[in-house]
Amino acid sequence: MEDLTSSPHEVRGDQFAATELSDDMLLRQFADGDAGAARLLTDRLGPRSFSVALRMLSNQAEAEDVAQEAMMRLWQMAPDWVPGQAKVSTWLYRVTLNLCVDLRRKKTHAALNEVAEPEDGSASVVEKMQDEARKDALQTALSQLPERQREAVVLRHIEELSNPEIAGIMDISVEAVESLTARGKRSLAAILAGRRDELGYDND
Amino acid sequence: MTMTDDDTELDRLFAQARQERSQLPDDLAVRMMTDAESVRLGRLAPQTEAKRRSWWHLFDNVGGWQGMGGLVAASAAGVWIGFSAPSFLPDPANYLISQETAYLVADLGLDTAYLEDAE
Repeated sequence: MEDLTSSPHEVRGDQFAATELSDDMLLRQFADGDAGAARLLTDRLGPRSFSVALRMLSNQAEAEDVAQEAMMRLWQMAPDWVPGQAKVSTWLYRVTLNLCVDLRRKKTHAALNEVAEPEDGSASVVEKMQDEARKDALQTALSQLPERQREAVVLRHIEELSNPEIAGIMDISVEAVESLTARGKRSLAAILAGRRDELGYDND
Repeated sequence: MTMTDDDTELDRLFAQARQERSQLPDDLAVRMMTDAESVRLGRLAPQTEAKRRSWWHLFDNVGGWQGMGGLVAASAAGVWIGFSAPSFLPDPANYLISQETAYLVADLGLDTAYLEDAE
């Protein structure tokens, strides 16, 4: 049987052994002072946090900040983590989504306090939006979904998580997850169908 | 376009999104690992340092220099009120002194009642 308690130096020197280590074990190694475990956790979990944040916020800089903060909280809570209670990735997804919600609320609050700027160059703005939408039609459609539907759809169809795991992340029942993803998919299909004409593909 | 076509289009977009999700910007990975290192080094700080800082922790709990200044000011005010009570409050110092004086007079046999009788 493979020794999963091997030293970090041995782990770094053996990629196969490293991939066998669970997130739980890597987090324990990091809490015990192993810098190499942080690299493996960053490689493994960082992209997940960033990917979800980017889909939720539609903004690269904000998604980077959220993912960095989520990972910072992971580093900080490492000594308190109880192995086997939950998946580390589940915890990280939940923290990431909560940070996204917090950020969106702050932005909404700030926007309400701002004085509306007079519109300028509206035609070019529309053209720019069309270009962006063509680049990522899915992201444009996702941004129109209600927040909870978007969370469920992103976790199910992009992160490919199981419904029970999504239920754990969102703190709702599996049935509620199924309902949110089904409604989200229907809405996305309708938005994509409706926007084909609006995007002016015929003008190309 | 039918609903099935829409679903196919949607599934294609999901598949494309899944292919793009595993990319972490290099500078972001560096920032994450820098954070991890700072947390790790902070945790590895000597225990004696932590003990030494426990007094500073107490100091911080009362609000640092500002809090400590307030505490000193409040203590000084308490001492001042003890010596110089406001006029609308009974002064316990005077009460004690007058009682003691009365006992002292009685003990010394300095009763002046006979003077009143003489008058």
